[in-house]
Amino acid sequence: MVAFEELYRRHSGRVYNVAWRMTGSAADADDLLQDVFLQAYRRFDSYRGEAALGTWLYRLAVNACLDHLRSHQGRQGKATDFIDDVEGLEPVADPSWQPDRALDRLDLESAISRLPPSYRAAFVLHDVEGHKHHEVAAMLGIAEGTSKSLLHKARLRLRALLRGGPADEAGPPAAAATGTGADGRRGER
Amino acid sequence: MDTRRPTTLACERMAPLVGDLVDDRLDRAARESLESHLAGCESCRGLADDLREIRRSARALPTRAPRPEVWARIAHQLAAQAPARPRAFWTGARVALAVAAVMVLSVVTSVVVLRGPRLSLQPIAPARTAATAVNPSAPDTVKDVDEHLRIADANYQQAITGLEKIVAADQAALDPAVAATLQKNMGIIDQAIRESRAAITSQPTSQLAQTSLFDALRQKVALLEDTIALINVMRKGDQAGAAKLIGGLSKS
Repeated sequence: MVAFEELYRRHSGRVYNVAWRMTGSAADADDLLQDVFLQAYRRFDSYRGEAALGTWLYRLAVNACLDHLRSHQGRQGKATDFIDDVEGLEPVADPSWQPDRALDRLDLESAISRLPPSYRAAFVLHDVEGHKHHEVAAMLGIAEGTSKSLLHKARLRLRALLRGGPADEAGPPAAAATGTGADGRRGER
Repeated sequence: MDTRRPTTLACERMAPLVGDLVDDRLDRAARESLESHLAGCESCRGLADDLREIRRSARALPTRAPRPEVWARIAHQLAAQAPARPRAFWTGARVALAVAAVMVLSVVTSVVVLRGPRLSLQPIAPARTAATAVNPSAPDTVKDVDEHLRIADANYQQAITGLEKIVAADQAALDPAVAATLQKNMGIIDQAIRESRAAITSQPTSQLAQTSLFDALRQKVALLEDTIALINVMRKGDQAGAAKLIGGLSKS
């Protein structure tokens, strides 16, 4: 138990933060943090040592968050795969972001919590957590191009939420990108 | 800032690349082309500025610490689960077995060192050299070798008895068909042990008989160990883990 408590002290912050960003709720993040560490305790036999322990725990956390988002969406009557369900949400306008000042943290956190789950997952993992697209794709079980597309749409939706304009007028929708090609895109740095 | 949809074809074409520009994912030619467009297009320039600001702010979001009560809740649940956890039980068995295995290994190793020269029929020089360390004809040495073999056998039996008790107490967790197959395999190993013992009785110095006996004892320990592992995963309801173990047992 002492060793496991040390494990918790070392890794709970990272697990909690990704859960908090993904769910937008401190209470849900607390519950997920608890679930992840109980799951880790029960499933420790399955840890093969192929990845660092922190990485293994982080993966458990991301999977728990995705399950949470899916079930939450299911309760709202949207039973389709949440990754595909990305259209049709009305943005909540927040006119407080003015061009002459930096983006307010609370405004951004509020806007992130209002993103559709698939957008939120891609945005949190890439822009907040700093993962590469191939890592995001692996965690979400999607193609790398889909990850890029979801991220771009998430940013446009955030911009609309923060600027107060309709979401679909924040910019033209991005086509799914698939690395370097004739369009001049390179692999991620 | 203007957030209206870009109206020119150039804007339509360039806008998806703005995100790539922000992420520094464009090659030089594409970047220069886009920057040239941005220089003359306030709408797309505003989009790029906003996306940069969103990305920068996202990276700068502060981290938060979980409430202390969360660990208390986890610790409480772990404490409540502890008595029923099969892993604690299994860990204890594994530790006991490991201790027994070390004892067996050390005894067998010493037997090999002592017995090797005495049983060697081939005049191999290194073996003869080793034999000089122990006088093969000395009655005390022969007695020591037999004593070491007896101890090794006894330690195997002790480990096997302990493991058999564990299996007997928990084998209800096994699927009846799997249990029957394991029992059948155990019977084959037991038969090999009996035959090896009989061979040793009739030919006490037979290295082949001794090797066969210890091979069979090792196989029995391994099978019992695998059986306990299988019981453990089936208790947890881990069907995938059980299938993997059964697959391994089938190959052994």
